[in-house]
Amino acid sequence: MKKSIFVVFSLIITATMLLTACGASPTTAPATVAPATEAPTAVPPTATTAPVKITIWHQWDGAYLDAITKVFNQYMTDHPNVTIDLSKPNDVTASLKVAIPAGQGPDILAWTNDQIGSNAIAGNIVPLDDQGITQDFLTSTYEPAAVNGVVWQGKIWALPESQEAIALVYNKDLVTADYLPTDPMNFTDLTAKAEKFYADKHIPLLCNQGFKGGDAYHIAPVFFGFGVKQYVDDQGNVTVNTPEALNAMTWLLDIKTKGHLLQDADDAACRTAFESGKVGMDWTGPWAIADFDKANVNYGIVPMGKPFVGIKALMLTKNAVDRGNAAVALDIIKYYTNAQNEIAVALANKTIPANSAALKDPGVQALSTLAGFGASANLGVPMANTPYANAQWGPVGDAVGAIWSGKQKPADALAAAQKAIEDAVAQMK
Amino acid sequence: MAQVRGWRKVLTVLAFISPTLIGILIFSIYPILFNTYISFTNRNQFHPNPDCAVGLTGLLEPTCWAVFKKHAVTGLGTPFRLQTPLFGNYASLMGTFFTAPALLSVLKVAVCFIPLIVAGFINRRYSRELERPISAGTVNLIAVILGAIIFFGLSGLSAFNSILASSDFFTVFLRTILFVVVCIPLFFIFGMGLALLLNVKDLPGKTFFRVVLIVPWAASNVSIMMSLVFRFFFSETGTLNQLLHILNVQPVIFLNSSLWTFFIIVLANVWYSYPFFMVTILGALQSIPAELYEAAEVDGANWGQKLTRITMPLLRPAVVPLIVLSAIGAGGFQMFGTAWAINQGGPSQGAGVPGGTDLVMTYAYKQVFQTNAYGRMGAFAVIIFIMLFIATIASLRVSRVTKGAYE
Repeated sequence: MKKSIFVVFSLIITATMLLTACGASPTTAPATVAPATEAPTAVPPTATTAPVKITIWHQWDGAYLDAITKVFNQYMTDHPNVTIDLSKPNDVTASLKVAIPAGQGPDILAWTNDQIGSNAIAGNIVPLDDQGITQDFLTSTYEPAAVNGVVWQGKIWALPESQEAIALVYNKDLVTADYLPTDPMNFTDLTAKAEKFYADKHIPLLCNQGFKGGDAYHIAPVFFGFGVKQYVDDQGNVTVNTPEALNAMTWLLDIKTKGHLLQDADDAACRTAFESGKVGMDWTGPWAIADFDKANVNYGIVPMGKPFVGIKALMLTKNAVDRGNAAVALDIIKYYTNAQNEIAVALANKTIPANSAALKDPGVQALSTLAGFGASANLGVPMANTPYANAQWGPVGDAVGAIWSGKQKPADALAAAQKAIEDAVAQMK
Repeated sequence: MAQVRGWRKVLTVLAFISPTLIGILIFSIYPILFNTYISFTNRNQFHPNPDCAVGLTGLLEPTCWAVFKKHAVTGLGTPFRLQTPLFGNYASLMGTFFTAPALLSVLKVAVCFIPLIVAGFINRRYSRELERPISAGTVNLIAVILGAIIFFGLSGLSAFNSILASSDFFTVFLRTILFVVVCIPLFFIFGMGLALLLNVKDLPGKTFFRVVLIVPWAASNVSIMMSLVFRFFFSETGTLNQLLHILNVQPVIFLNSSLWTFFIIVLANVWYSYPFFMVTILGALQSIPAELYEAAEVDGANWGQKLTRITMPLLRPAVVPLIVLSAIGAGGFQMFGTAWAINQGGPSQGAGVPGGTDLVMTYAYKQVFQTNAYGRMGAFAVIIFIMLFIATIASLRVSRVTKGAYE
């Protein structure tokens, strides 16, 4: 009798396990999926009085998030039936892969434009052309670089929010006018100034975490400034082993010796050296400005070369369309990226808006960061949407590392990088 | 009647173990099977979605099951399919290793070890005799000299280099083996030395030292972050170079040299791992009866003889499994966190070749996350699984062959 009770009990446990496995997927989904919930109804989007919940997955950080949350709170006040839920997952690629096919993904994805290609191919996001966004609307509202960044294969995939690019952030107390480069494309002048600076002050003029290798993003202004168009283009053609690239790397070795640059400086080392006055300039982006403000450095910003321009953008997901939330979600995206809200966010976070009207606003124009980073972004090359671009980071970083440490000659290293990227692209096809 | 009772017994047993069995099937066996299947396809960023019409895909892929099919995504990419040479992913990982020249080189290097194997046999044959014509040491010496002669005669160095050049995977694999071979003895020496010290009777401050010496073990849980401290210590503007600056010596760029970076990784790894060895050996030491040592002292044994003839054999049952587990675990063959934090796989040797201190796991990480190539990732995992499986089987045999002094 007792034995059969035990048998029945264990059978019940087994049945429970089976049922939970076959039931709703959240219990078996990996822990990285953010707690997103579905909208309660599938009411047609034109009925604005029905309650709607919109989930946004984003990558906005700490202090930036405050100003951005204010915008969404205002929208909720204006539209009482809409609830906006912001969440920041840890591993967005993996989370999307699991959540979207299960119908548990977000409605809006706020990310960078270089993620558009892979998400479009996977089917996670939908083109905005089908939702009524036209090319005319884009070009009339947003900056040309931002527009280029969100269009891929002839379709519009996102609305741009802000642009970012790296530039030379210099210490005004150390680097006076005669040490500043005057022409962003004149690299010989930069070497001469670096030599002079070291002779006078015995510290290196500049620090760039991409020089020692392993960071194709930070070395990009040098490559593109010397005339390389892109590492990999939309069709998968690789242009890394070109005469322009060779000139760029020869310059790099030249300024390394003449400018007595730090040989092994990563992001933290460059930033610390800049803040403690051991280096005249840090070649970095808007994300470092908050630290420099805290360290009370009297900084100025000047563009150099042609950096990568990363465009933060908001995409519409397939789940939003399935749930019938597409119109509301798109309205929220347009609201967030309109001139008035972009101005508010730009002033609070010191970022560079993609909205043309916001960029022209006098308050934004007066931002200390705008002149330098904005000018740099205007010169820059947008980060590619195509997933082929994923193949460029490793080989370019490795090649620069081998060149910088002297392990390989520039010509050999660039040829090896070209071959490696071509192999990777061929495997992707 | 007996048969019915047999069936009931089987059913009862099944009912009790079925929750665990189902758990293992769902969470271990199924992912392994799925992963192995994917390793034969070209699934990557461009072919992320399945073609549910293909038999096995429809069976194994979750988004093809009726339950999930409702929300299945179809993007701009083409569905993934099986590779045309079915072993395509494996072949690209192995490079040109399984071609005639590379295999010939392997044969050449293997031939150099034959004298040592023969010497081992000879020693084992003569070890049971009371008198032997030639001593064990001389036999080993002759074997080493013969091996060296064969090595240079067959130009073994160029053969070795051609093995390394034939396949990146094997370069990385051999480097990881070297890493394990260097680390494990250091773990043992440090662990054993400290355990012997802590085992001394009436040691002043014993409790304090026991606590302090265990601290690195706690740090190993956040080994990636702690390894950044090691990295800072050796970086160009780090502690060591600042000390050298005070002594008016030019800064040494440690992280630009493969050898120094390897040394730093070994140092950090030894720091995290010796407490585990120390604690286990300490426990085992305290289980050795003191009478054995007293008897040895009466017989006139000195400290060295006590160590090698009494302590080591009695420690073997505790230490051998420990060594085996460390070697194939996260502190040995599967080392990732420390190696990555210190220099992301070492000073770059150029594009398309592994870095200076790329171990198996850091190499796999770089390969996979550059191109999101799930198929290749699967092939890598299967190859590592096979190697670790062989290593585990071999280690089990070694443990059984080794007997404690009581058996």
